[in-house]
Amino acid sequence: MTRESSDPLRVEGTRLGNGLEVFRQAPPPAARSFSATFVSAAGWACDGELGGLAALVSATGAAAAGTRDRVALAQVLDRHGAVLTHHCDPESAEVTVWGPEESLVPLLGLLADVVLAPRFEREDLERVRRQLYERQLRELSQPESRADRALLSAVFPPDHPYAKSGAGTHESVARVHRADLVRFHERHVTAAGGQLVLTARPGLATIARLASRGFRDLPAGSEPAARPVARAPRGKRPQRRRLSMPGRAQVEIRVGGASIARSDPSYAGAFLANEVLGGRALLSRLFQNVREKEGLAYHASSSLEAMRWGGYWEAQAGTGPERVDAALRLLYAEVDRIRHERIRGPELERMRESTIGELPLALETTQGAHELALDVAYHHLGETFLTAWPSELRRLSPESVRTAAAEAFPDAGTVTVLAGPIRPLSGGAGAGSTRVHAHHIHTHK
Amino acid sequence: METGVRAMVVALSVGPARVERFALPNGLEVQLAPIPGSPTASVWVWYRVGSKNEWPGVTGASHWVEHMLFQGSPRYRKGEMDRAIVEVGGSLNAFTDNDFTAYFSTVPREHLGIPLDIESDRMTRATIAPVEVERERTVIRSEREGNENWPEFRVDEELYALAFQRHPYRWDPLGYPEDILALTPKDLQSYYRRYYGTRNAVLVVAGGFEAGALARDVRRRFSPLPATGEDPKVRVVEPPQRGPRESTLTGPGTTPFLEVGWRAPAVSDSHAAAALLVDAVLGGESRLFATGSMWGRRTEHPSARLYRRLVDEGLAVRASSEWRPRLHPGLFVVHAQAARGIALPRLERALLTEVERLARDGPTEAELAEARIKLRQGAQLAYEGASRCGFRLGYFSMLGSDGFEGALLRAALRADTRAVRRSARELFREENRTLVRYEPSGASLDA
Repeated sequence: MTRESSDPLRVEGTRLGNGLEVFRQAPPPAARSFSATFVSAAGWACDGELGGLAALVSATGAAAAGTRDRVALAQVLDRHGAVLTHHCDPESAEVTVWGPEESLVPLLGLLADVVLAPRFEREDLERVRRQLYERQLRELSQPESRADRALLSAVFPPDHPYAKSGAGTHESVARVHRADLVRFHERHVTAAGGQLVLTARPGLATIARLASRGFRDLPAGSEPAARPVARAPRGKRPQRRRLSMPGRAQVEIRVGGASIARSDPSYAGAFLANEVLGGRALLSRLFQNVREKEGLAYHASSSLEAMRWGGYWEAQAGTGPERVDAALRLLYAEVDRIRHERIRGPELERMRESTIGELPLALETTQGAHELALDVAYHHLGETFLTAWPSELRRLSPESVRTAAAEAFPDAGTVTVLAGPIRPLSGGAGAGSTRVHAHHIHTHK
Repeated sequence: METGVRAMVVALSVGPARVERFALPNGLEVQLAPIPGSPTASVWVWYRVGSKNEWPGVTGASHWVEHMLFQGSPRYRKGEMDRAIVEVGGSLNAFTDNDFTAYFSTVPREHLGIPLDIESDRMTRATIAPVEVERERTVIRSEREGNENWPEFRVDEELYALAFQRHPYRWDPLGYPEDILALTPKDLQSYYRRYYGTRNAVLVVAGGFEAGALARDVRRRFSPLPATGEDPKVRVVEPPQRGPRESTLTGPGTTPFLEVGWRAPAVSDSHAAAALLVDAVLGGESRLFATGSMWGRRTEHPSARLYRRLVDEGLAVRASSEWRPRLHPGLFVVHAQAARGIALPRLERALLTEVERLARDGPTEAELAEARIKLRQGAQLAYEGASRCGFRLGYFSMLGSDGFEGALLRAALRADTRAVRRSARELFREENRTLVRYEPSGASLDA
């Protein structure tokens, strides 16, 4: 008899006969729900010539499956008090069902239907297509999304999946037929490269049995080949892009560049450095200096997106046009400090303990715990990763964090984007991508 | 209906298993909800003050005071509250609504004393220093400007400004830009002194603790506070609307949309329970009892009427409705975003026809059964986690007395098709309608 772990910090794994990886995490003790996610390799890196294809497959496939059309599927979810969500990114696609724990068996069956037997009905495809057209337009018209897109398309080469939004173009989405969805699904939604992650009360053996019942017919497929992803150039000169969007009230500022993958040995140090820079709400340097000390912006933060194939970092703020220069100077100064200065002991200690202390908050709900399990499973971090994470952070010295920061927030190739009510540079190119050198302010002596 | 599904519907019980309720002599209402095994504890303080208490010239004061309560108090200088909570891995924030203001912190349970100490310190003794008020002015302007970047915010602001001509629901809690520029430290200090205090607050704590010990701790920390804070009756009554109102905004953006609001009952009104069902039938869910996140909404409701009529038929890419319960009569709002190539007049006609059909014929028995299940099941997991529990207990205490949530839900589950049709007829009268269109002025506009 296997011992069932009731510790939400342990993420146990096994493999079904067809090769599908199955992971199980216990939910928080007081929780009464479960969460199950199927992760496939069907991200938009697989789009090929048909930009937007993965997004169409993800949304259309989650609408109707097995014997249920979309109304019947929605009704089943409502009757269980459950929610089905789907998500697609460059590297993968996910579909998640969350519901009351007593509904685990039927809802896991429903998830299996969605994964194995999507109906890809024509009406659903047309509806999702219309929604994708609207998303494309919205991404063009909002300063936030324009700034994000401009940053990534400047950081990565055009053929790099991280450079794209996944929504495709009007032309590429218009060219997609139902047969394309079916082909894409057959090829990329397989056990190889797939994962089923559950945060649920039953132990791993029971979960594996249930998973086998629902997912045994999932084709084994072939292990996805290493993707021919072009590396983001790291040696480029700084670039600046100004996107003049008249009529808006606020300018969105982004400063960023290419960064490390999640598997990079310096990840823990880089993670902590990002927390100090702008990742940790309220405590971070960007929040404290840009908002609290200078009152320049409502939001000021940073993020480090470390994925399987690579990553990127960005520091961001949103502010009125008359305060852009001052805010930008502070952003540059703080990015520069994190690259070049050792974080002093007390500050590093505060940030480290805050990060470690936050773990229980993630375990408040099944959904919060599940997010952690997904991360552990996706990056193959190991059964005891979450338990060991505090010690790993405590082992980091100020010097190792500085070294990691220099690696994760490289000086070279930094891109600055301003999007909003700003004047275009005189003589700027019509496409809005005028490039100038960024002026970095060095504050340390 | 699938076999066995009916049996899945759980017995109606809302709220945490146990809540200790008591009041201190200074008027502070306290609710303690122990959650055995919870690794966290969540502290919420709800004040019965929001933009409903403001008047022209001081709009945005409630929201600004909310910001100032993070800027220092006798025991916590500026920045120290944030540090005290975040350093132990906790999170804290606040929000301001038309009807109330709420402050919350969630911490690992062994650190529960920290947020309690902060809340007891700033409940009556926040510093509100002039220099910090000035610094915060640009932060608040920036917050408003960030919102203004979204056409949806502009349309929403226009909708309420048009539908309400006297009542304070007319303005957004962020306040008018002119008032943000003009409010003084004195304005904020007197606003705070008037409305904040034990008599106008509810303290809710949920999570991993022993209720008896915590009750003693709460008494020790909060009993010495003076009995201050008032919840004056909002005397302004919005006169009846005498005919439809409409407006068209233009601005940046690429997809047209419209928002229609009908004057709607207050949460205490006898039609309130039916409004929940109308919301579920028309838009697919009721915000109060929706499965999902603490305060989020799902957009895909393929069995809802608006979805079938507008999204399925290719007129809109999304369509939703929302009746947000308020202390005073508010709005029932329907929102629809046009699909590419669809002109707004066509979308508008279809939307109004669908609403009129519901008002004329009422829901079918099947639709109502579906809506009841949604409400009932949506309440099922709503209290999972200390933070959600603290939120819901406090939120419902702002809207009504103890047991209000259960009473509202039970009333909704009892309502039959005739009652819902009656309410829909009352709600969707043409003279009660305000409509705002958003016509984008161009494409991406980048230079």
